[in-house]
Amino acid sequence: MKKLISLIAVILIVCVSFTAVYAAGINSSEASVLGNMRTPANMKGNSVYVPSSYINQAESYFNTIDMTSAQAGKINSIIGQARSFLAGTGKSSIKELNASERKTLMNYASAAAGVLNLSAAAGSDTKNIKIISGNGSAVVDDSTNVIKKTGAEQSALPYIGVSVLACLLTLSAAGVLISGKKSFAYEEEK
Amino acid sequence: MHMKKKSKKFSKSDRKLLIVPLAMTAAMVIFLSALFFPVISDLTSIGAMFFSDKQVDYSKSYENIFVPTNNDSDTIDASKVEFPTINKQFGELKIEKRDVNTKLFFGDASVPLRNGVGIYAGSFIPGYGRTILVAGHNNTYFNGLKNVKKGDIVKINTSYGNYKYKVTDTKIYNANSKKSYDLSAKEENLIMYTCYPFDQLGITEKRFFVYAKKISGPKIVGLYD
Repeated sequence: MKKLISLIAVILIVCVSFTAVYAAGINSSEASVLGNMRTPANMKGNSVYVPSSYINQAESYFNTIDMTSAQAGKINSIIGQARSFLAGTGKSSIKELNASERKTLMNYASAAAGVLNLSAAAGSDTKNIKIISGNGSAVVDDSTNVIKKTGAEQSALPYIGVSVLACLLTLSAAGVLISGKKSFAYEEEK
Repeated sequence: MHMKKKSKKFSKSDRKLLIVPLAMTAAMVIFLSALFFPVISDLTSIGAMFFSDKQVDYSKSYENIFVPTNNDSDTIDASKVEFPTINKQFGELKIEKRDVNTKLFFGDASVPLRNGVGIYAGSFIPGYGRTILVAGHNNTYFNGLKNVKKGDIVKINTSYGNYKYKVTDTKIYNANSKKSYDLSAKEENLIMYTCYPFDQLGITEKRFFVYAKKISGPKIVGLYD
């Protein structure tokens, strides 16, 4: 009898582990946050929208978690506060925000990300936001350029290298010229 | 006439011989970089061969969640899909007729594009019913994309299903043109792109886009409560 129970337990465990189930799909809490993100802010009569690239990334991330209604409530509240803040700046677009106002906006993003134990940081060009998980991996990438560079890769190092080489060659040439001048220079005695 | 040897010390005129060409060289480099950036970028690409960063083993810098499947059904429930996060390999992309056979990542930053091709994280995965925007380097994994024609079949295999897309069009756009994609589209469409012209070194302003529509593969259902 004990052996039979053990066997049944093993079979059940194998069945459960064999059928992987993921925290997938958009639950009602996540849907409410996405809907809130799609609602524009009013900046001096202009409707300002969160770029669809950010909303899409949020949706993709929500497919990997199960947000609770409490978390959604907090995030939606923060989004509402951010919208009110933008309306209160008296500016007509995000681009017109000064450094202090951008910092405030970043603080709202950090607070919203923090509800899900994520952190927000300025993107590589400081104009966009990156959301990062606890292990440092990007959850929402800064979306300055949707279309990427897909030719030979570029970095600053080759520019520096070529520039230094050019300067060294010029110095060497000048050095050779000066040495040659000194070897063969004579001053006529008056 | 008595000739006297000149002093070996550097005179004021000697210093000018050093400073003037140095300053002119620096000014030239800055001016040419600004004016002829695409040309200079060719030279710096060559320079990168000699002044390259330390070699990194990129094959260890990503997680692979791709396990081939035989699932060619019409639907798959969202709870059975392991949605990839950024920089994870979750599939493979093939255009057999054009010699494209590469790893497929979610995300299109350095790690994905150095190891395969990557889906822009602001787009979606196959089966989601939305836009799938895939980037790849023209000198590596998307080298064969330049030969793609209308009617070619693109296969994307993932752990949750195998998909086929048929190429409907190819176009060339500027990289910053928003006409090349629609991230808000509500039907599944595959867009693959790479730099154009294909043989130009350095930064290019244009991209070669390949558009394809889904012809088979499981639709992810149960996404919304």
